[in-house]
Amino acid sequence: MLIEHWAYANRWRGVSPAAKGLWALAGLAAAQGAATSGRALGSAAALVAVCLLGAGVPWRAYLRAAWAPLGFLALSAASMSVSLRWAGQGLPTFQFTPEAQALAGHTSARALASLAALLGLVLTTPLPDLMALLRRLRVPDLLLELMVLCHRLLFVALALFHEASRAQRARLGYASRAQAVRSIALLLGHQAVQLWQRARVLQASAEARCGGAGLRFLPPVYPHARRDVGLAALASLGLLWCTWGLA
Amino acid sequence: MNTAKPVFELQGVAYRYPDGPQGLHDCSLRLERGRRHALLGANGAGKTTLLQQLNGLLRPSAGQIVFDGQPLDASRAGLRALRQRVGLVFQNPEHQLFSAQVFEDVSYGPLNLGLDEATVRERVRAALADVGLSAHALAPVHQLSFGQKKRVCLAGVLAMQPEVLLLDEPMAGLDAPMQQALTALLDALVARGVTVLLSTHDIDFAYAWADHLHLMQAGRCTASLPATDLPSQASAWRQAGQPLPRVLELHQALQQQGLGLPGEPPRSHEALLALLALSARPQATPSTPPARMNCHD
Repeated sequence: MLIEHWAYANRWRGVSPAAKGLWALAGLAAAQGAATSGRALGSAAALVAVCLLGAGVPWRAYLRAAWAPLGFLALSAASMSVSLRWAGQGLPTFQFTPEAQALAGHTSARALASLAALLGLVLTTPLPDLMALLRRLRVPDLLLELMVLCHRLLFVALALFHEASRAQRARLGYASRAQAVRSIALLLGHQAVQLWQRARVLQASAEARCGGAGLRFLPPVYPHARRDVGLAALASLGLLWCTWGLA
Repeated sequence: MNTAKPVFELQGVAYRYPDGPQGLHDCSLRLERGRRHALLGANGAGKTTLLQQLNGLLRPSAGQIVFDGQPLDASRAGLRALRQRVGLVFQNPEHQLFSAQVFEDVSYGPLNLGLDEATVRERVRAALADVGLSAHALAPVHQLSFGQKKRVCLAGVLAMQPEVLLLDEPMAGLDAPMQQALTALLDALVARGVTVLLSTHDIDFAYAWADHLHLMQAGRCTASLPATDLPSQASAWRQAGQPLPRVLELHQALQQQGLGLPGEPPRSHEALLALLALSARPQATPSTPPARMNCHD
C-alpha cells in the first residue's frame, strides 16, 4: 500500500510512464555495466536522489519501501562473502577471502543500483500506467489481463480481509491464542470462497458491458510525453556516460 | 395510458438457479419506453434475477422476454446487440469495478462497443462529468468511497449510452445529497428518452420518483401500476402486504380529519407541504395542484 500510495501521490504522477520507464531502464543498464563498485554506488545515489528530490517521494517512505529488499540484499552479500572449507577431517571452517569479499561488494553495489532504479519506477508510476506502457510495448494480452485482475483482486481481498478480521475482533475472535488460530483459519476459508464468488460476479459484470474478447482500457493521455521522454533520454545518457566509465 | 410498443415485455418468465433456488415464477411484466420504472420487493423477491434476465446474463427456463418487439436473441451476437442497448449497474460496486483506475474502468464498456479512441475519450469525459467525478478520473478505484464507487459504476454504463438503464438498488448506501444528485441525473436521462428501471425497497422514493411501480413477491411479478393509480388501489396494495408511501398515508389521514386538500394526492413530502401551504391561504383556491407537485409525472 505504501508503494501504491506514493505512486499516485508523487510529483511525477503526470510525467509520461515511458519517460520514467526509460530512466529506470538506464538505471538498470548503468548498474549492470558499472566498471567499478564505486561507480555502481554512484549511480545508485543518483537514482535515489532523483526519486527523492525530483519526484518528491519522502525519504522515510523510500526507506520503508526499500527495507525488505535491502534486508535480502544484505543476507545475500553476507552469504557471498563467506565460504565453507572442509579439509577432509574435523569440522568445516568458515573463510573470508578477499576475492569473495570483493565479488560480494561489487555484486551488492550493482544490485543496490538496480534496486534504486526499480524502486524509482514503482514509487513514481501507478501499476495501471505501467500496464498501459507494457501494452504499448506489445506484451501479450493474456499476461496483462492477469496483471489487471490480480492487481484489482489484491485490493478486494485486502478489503475483505480487514472487514472480516475487524468483525471477528469485535466478537472476541482473537481473545486467546486458540481463538485467534481458529479465527484466522475461518477467515482464510471464508476469504477463498468470497474471492471465488467475486471473480464470478466480475466475469458477469464484464459480460454485461459487452466484454468477453479481452480486457481493454483506454490509457490516460500525457500531453508532455515527447518532452518527458526527451529529458529522460538525455538524463539516461548522462547516467550511462558516468557509470560505464566513459567519463 | 401509453399504448406504444413496450421496450421490454416478460411473458410468463421462470428461472431456477443451477444450485436449486427458484428465482422467478411465471413473471409477466411490461416496461413502457422512455419512462421511470421502479421494481419493488423484499430481499429475495427476485429483483436482481429479473434485472439480470433483462441484460441477458441469465436466461429464462420458461416463458420468453420480448425486447423491442422481438423475442430476446440468446446467441452471442444477439446478446452483444442487447447489451449495447441495455446497461446494467450492479448493486455492489465491488462486483462491477475491475480496473484499478476510474478512467480505465469507465472506458471498458465503450471500447467493447468498437468505438474509436476519440469517441471513447469524449464519452468517458461526459459520463464522469454526469456523475460528478471529473476530478477523480485518474484516481485509484480502491481509494474511493462507497458512494463514489457506485457513481463510477454508473458512469461505466452511461458511457455506453444505453437506451435502457437497469439499476440494482442504486440508492443503497448513498447519503441524501448523493441520492438527490442521482435522482436528478436519472430524470435527465429519462428526459433524453432513456428508459430507466431501478430496483428498490424504498416505497417512498419509488412513489415520488417513478411513473410505474412493479411489485415482486417470492419471485412473482404480482402487480404493475402507474404510480398515480396507487391512491385508488391503496387497499389492494395493503392487502398484498406492502406498506403505503408515508406521504399517501398522511394525506389520507389529513382528509379523514376533514382537511380537504385540492388536486391529486401529493407524491412527495415537499409536494404535500406545498399543498398544505396553498390550502392555508384562503385567497388561493387553485383547481389544479402547483407545477412542482407533478414534476415527476
